[in-house]
Amino acid sequence: MLNYLLKRLGLAALVVMAVLLLLFSMLHMIPGNPAILALGTRATPEAIAAYSERMHLDEPVLTQFIFFLGNAVQGDLGNDVFSNRPVTAVIGERIGFTLALICTGMGWAVLLGVPLGCLAAVRPGTWIDRITGVFSVGMIAVPSFLVSIWALLLFSLHLRWLPAIGAGEPGDLSDQLSHLILPAFAIGLGWVGYLARMVRASMLEVMGEPYIRSARAFGLKPRRIVLGYALRVAILPTITLIGMGFGGLISSAVFAEIIFSRPGVGKMIFDAVSDRNFPIVQGGVLVATGFYILVVLFSDLLIAWLDPRVRASL
Amino acid sequence: MTLTRTTRRTFLTSTAAMAAAGLFPGGVGMLRAQEGRVLNLRLEGDNSILDPGYMVGGTEVEAQKQCLPFLAEYVRDGDTFSWQPTAYVTRLEYVDDTHIEFELAEGLVWSGGHGTLKASDVAYSYKRMKDSEWSGYFDALETVEVTGERTGTLVLNKPFAPFIMVTLCHGPGAIVCEAATEAAGGRFTTEFPAICGPYTYSATPGQRAVFERNPEWTGPAPGFDRVVCHVITEVQAAELAYEAGEIDCTELGPDSLARYSKQMPENTTITTAGQLQYMWMGMNTQHPKLQDIKVRQAIQHAVDVDSILAGAFAGTSTKSHGIVCPGLLGARSQTSYSYDPAKARALLDEAGVSGLELTLRTLNWQERLLTAQIIQANLAAVGITVNILPMESGPFWEMGMEEAGDTWQDLELWIMRYATVPDPYESTQWFVSEQVGIWNWERWTDPEFDRLYDEGLSETDEAKREEIYLRMQQIMEDTGAYVWINHEPEVYAHKTDIEVVAAPSGELNYHRFKPL
Repeated sequence: MLNYLLKRLGLAALVVMAVLLLLFSMLHMIPGNPAILALGTRATPEAIAAYSERMHLDEPVLTQFIFFLGNAVQGDLGNDVFSNRPVTAVIGERIGFTLALICTGMGWAVLLGVPLGCLAAVRPGTWIDRITGVFSVGMIAVPSFLVSIWALLLFSLHLRWLPAIGAGEPGDLSDQLSHLILPAFAIGLGWVGYLARMVRASMLEVMGEPYIRSARAFGLKPRRIVLGYALRVAILPTITLIGMGFGGLISSAVFAEIIFSRPGVGKMIFDAVSDRNFPIVQGGVLVATGFYILVVLFSDLLIAWLDPRVRASL
Repeated sequence: MTLTRTTRRTFLTSTAAMAAAGLFPGGVGMLRAQEGRVLNLRLEGDNSILDPGYMVGGTEVEAQKQCLPFLAEYVRDGDTFSWQPTAYVTRLEYVDDTHIEFELAEGLVWSGGHGTLKASDVAYSYKRMKDSEWSGYFDALETVEVTGERTGTLVLNKPFAPFIMVTLCHGPGAIVCEAATEAAGGRFTTEFPAICGPYTYSATPGQRAVFERNPEWTGPAPGFDRVVCHVITEVQAAELAYEAGEIDCTELGPDSLARYSKQMPENTTITTAGQLQYMWMGMNTQHPKLQDIKVRQAIQHAVDVDSILAGAFAGTSTKSHGIVCPGLLGARSQTSYSYDPAKARALLDEAGVSGLELTLRTLNWQERLLTAQIIQANLAAVGITVNILPMESGPFWEMGMEEAGDTWQDLELWIMRYATVPDPYESTQWFVSEQVGIWNWERWTDPEFDRLYDEGLSETDEAKREEIYLRMQQIMEDTGAYVWINHEPEVYAHKTDIEVVAAPSGELNYHRFKPL
């Protein structure tokens, strides 16, 4: 298990490096002088030169990359081009909002999607199964940015039940919660469908297994068979899906954060790309990539922990 | 590894607890009481550098106007703009062409125990600006002579008529506290080292900036006790927030302005700050296809600007007749050419040109692309084929610069928009001879234009200045290299019970807002 963990961590480090190298190359392939784009079209030559020197734009890309990696290892992701604040501090102010959004979005999707999948699986072919199927596919088909806009128009503009913008008054729990509902609903809705379909498919497969038949033959209650035996096995591929899903939710969070003007890492990266604020882009992508890799690693370890067959194969 | 029910339960409990902890980054606490009148506004983005010498501009100027002293401020008189002394001075006047005397008001104090506002702070601030990234605004300033604790003289190195309007009223004219700024290391970013204004300032990055009444302020009281500026990057999101009742005032884009004009939301009115933007279609006078002035004049006559205003801007912008914007000295009311396709065809025939194919470059923004498509249709009607080339801002803004590559040689037509300040000199500076290959992408030169530019800077007689700028625009138009398009307004929708005060360039001045 320890060897497995070390191998995965090593692989994770390589993935992070590859992503950063790709990012560096892409940022520098974008046409236009980044100094002019950052400082405005009327920037003086002196300001442009100072910016280029401060950003190491006059160095080769590989040198810039090595320079960045060396500092990143020491926990220094550079400084914001404009405010000169440490990138780690800027990210630190926003990461909590993104984590809250992603966890809440995935949280409610799991709470609704898994029971829906179970319900559809134990009543295959019935109207419950069909309705669940139609709704699941519908939820998957609608992109989260569209859900965000519809939810905002309906619940904020017309009904005025929920706030439209921001993350709530700092220190006010109920206000923060009310600001979280719509964006979390928007990014989680598609995942309700995904999870319901996934759990249904896994459950149908597991429900046909001999040990489930044996359990029934022993006269165990259906509820115990479903929750105690079938779901325990059927949930394993769903855990992998949830782990992968966190990566997708980071992308969805970008739209939700923009549409609901909510602070977060996604919006921060989006704004930084527009402003050519390279240190923020690099730091933000590094953190997002690291987060995604950690979640996937965590889900793999969880599966190994829950499934003795996987554990034995390590 | 031992798998036990207790361990899983512990794990699930811990996970839930961590998720709950992560859910509320601001922590749990009591809601702060909001007393008095609160104004909710939009902030385009975080204020990164509040230091007037190194700011990006825009919303940072709005923050400076609430917290730092200025000697002059914009005032609107009907459709024109002028200036007036602020509450920080009891006197501000030209004593001759190169000397402006000022006297600071008594009893205005800096926060943090940094004493009263002194003339030496003015001298320190403006000397500092001359060495800053915004030094261009202070080229005309020779020095600030301190003649007393609260009195001084701004000495210009040459007569420069727009100094008060362009420099003192705008962000670079902010005065900082010498003692506090030096204590902060000579520069500052996201916090003011000391304030002297109607409001205090605090910001939560990514979320909001909050202005609250400054208890030490002895000047005129602001209309609102608290101004909360919510960070909303996208203008459309701000419009939705306004319609949801979460902000009291927001800027409007052209589409929304057209929509609001047809059906105004309840309890809403519109205020136009200014129209300090000028858009035109430019032509490269040195390009082989456009070297003949008759071809350029044909294009001038072929473009139906009224259709562009209706089709691309929903009738929400003002038709342009030159580079000097409406409300400013030297703004024109007509052009010497008009939409006349027959004349355009005749000019092309005179030039012996047929089957002309041109490339029109534009930023890939919605209104610009619509504008380009209308121009494409207009020119097709006179036999000119136009290929539209939408571009990202990066390559677009350097395509006419010689130092950025060879694209300037291929430039034929392009749609351009510049923003300006409330004085005509700023618009004209980009078209003097030395700007060819930098910002004069039309690449013409004219000694008379260059001479008039210098004269306009130092001329203090308004009638003569107006003549100068009218003549300069005529020279530009006579090159045939310009089709003037429009001046887009800075427009705000706001609640009817609020009076909004904005600079001509659109920056809001919160402390001058009034509840009605």
